[in-house]
Amino acid sequence: MKENWWKIIGIVLMLFALIFGILTPLKPGLPSVFPFNGKAGNPLTVDIQGYNTHFDEAKEQRVWLKLGDYTLGSSKLEATSSNLLRATFLTPAMLPSKDSVVVFSLVTDNEIDGASVMPSAIFVKQSVIDSAGAAQVWPQNSLDNLHQQAGIMFPYRNVLGETIRNLYYHVSLWFAMFIILAVSIFYSIRYLNKGNMLDDHRSNALVSVGVLFGLLGCATGSIWAKHTWGTWWTTDVKLNMTAIFMLIYLAYFVLRGSFQDEIKRARLASVYNIFAFASIIPLLFVIPRLVDSLHPGNGGNPGFGGEDLDNTMRIAFYPAIIGMTLIGLWIADLRYRLAVLADKVLDRI
Amino acid sequence: MKISKIIIALFVFQCIILNNITAQSSNPDFMQSIGKIYVVVAVIVTVFLGIIIYLFSLQKKIKQLEDQIKD
Repeated sequence: MKENWWKIIGIVLMLFALIFGILTPLKPGLPSVFPFNGKAGNPLTVDIQGYNTHFDEAKEQRVWLKLGDYTLGSSKLEATSSNLLRATFLTPAMLPSKDSVVVFSLVTDNEIDGASVMPSAIFVKQSVIDSAGAAQVWPQNSLDNLHQQAGIMFPYRNVLGETIRNLYYHVSLWFAMFIILAVSIFYSIRYLNKGNMLDDHRSNALVSVGVLFGLLGCATGSIWAKHTWGTWWTTDVKLNMTAIFMLIYLAYFVLRGSFQDEIKRARLASVYNIFAFASIIPLLFVIPRLVDSLHPGNGGNPGFGGEDLDNTMRIAFYPAIIGMTLIGLWIADLRYRLAVLADKVLDRI
Repeated sequence: MKISKIIIALFVFQCIILNNITAQSSNPDFMQSIGKIYVVVAVIVTVFLGIIIYLFSLQKKIKQLEDQIKD
């Protein structure tokens, strides 16, 4: 039982990530608004769709159209259900912008849900362009008396919705894969230094679990992409580089399988493993950041950083990484012990 | 050996079912419903089945070793 402590920690952390990651509710959000266009000077009535909101229970419901510091409050509000709100705005004939079509954000606020923002929500067309005159008419309000949402909740993002929880089950797989492959490099280098066959077995077991996690990461990412980007696989740089690097690692097993001589196999596999790991760094960390990419964390798309990965998500994300890594190390340990046993038994026979 | 094939078949079956539910059934928005929560379910099921398949392949290796020891 004494040597099992880290496996138990891994299971507990993974269970925590599963339970906390699934049960924590999302913050209220605004998935859609209809119609999303109108004409300046005409009254504009829009139906605001909410998610996890309480429009009908709220007593201090407020809605604004927002462009920079200019805000226009709604003149009439009607909540038909907890997730549906009809707002009417009396837009002035002139808008505080020099463009003929002006894009407003929509801000809602009440005492139960706190404030929600839908960026680039409503397009308003103006026929007379007089931004100086409009600046006189339009009220300025920095909206600093908004309500704060209390309690532990994950952020709501449009398109993502509940799938933001996949951060704990898809991204943590990749983090665990990097850690496991890095440990396998350590054993590869140690094998080349000392020539101990056990180190080669360790490194091989770790690579096989690392590749398993990589393949699962591809599969889960593909499912996630299907329902948020609309397709199983895109020609996105990050995805294609991942495919290349998976092929490099699959070649590792081909290389191992093609040698009869144990020492030759161990040496070549160790060297190949080091070069394969070195290829990850440009393929997954450098090139995708240099070009535009759909995948979060890359060029022009910071995604799960800053506001998106807020502190409530870190509570589940970091345990998920550590738990996944420990479970991976456990499986690799079983494989390693099997390889050592096979060596001993077959030598004796 | 047989069980691992069954598990792989289950995995493929799961993918086909997911695809069918999204594409053809009377409720085409199943995966999109309740804020796309079923996408998270599909991801967790995939990871679980993937690890199970790996464990069965490991069991196969152990079985081979056991057979070799017997001979």
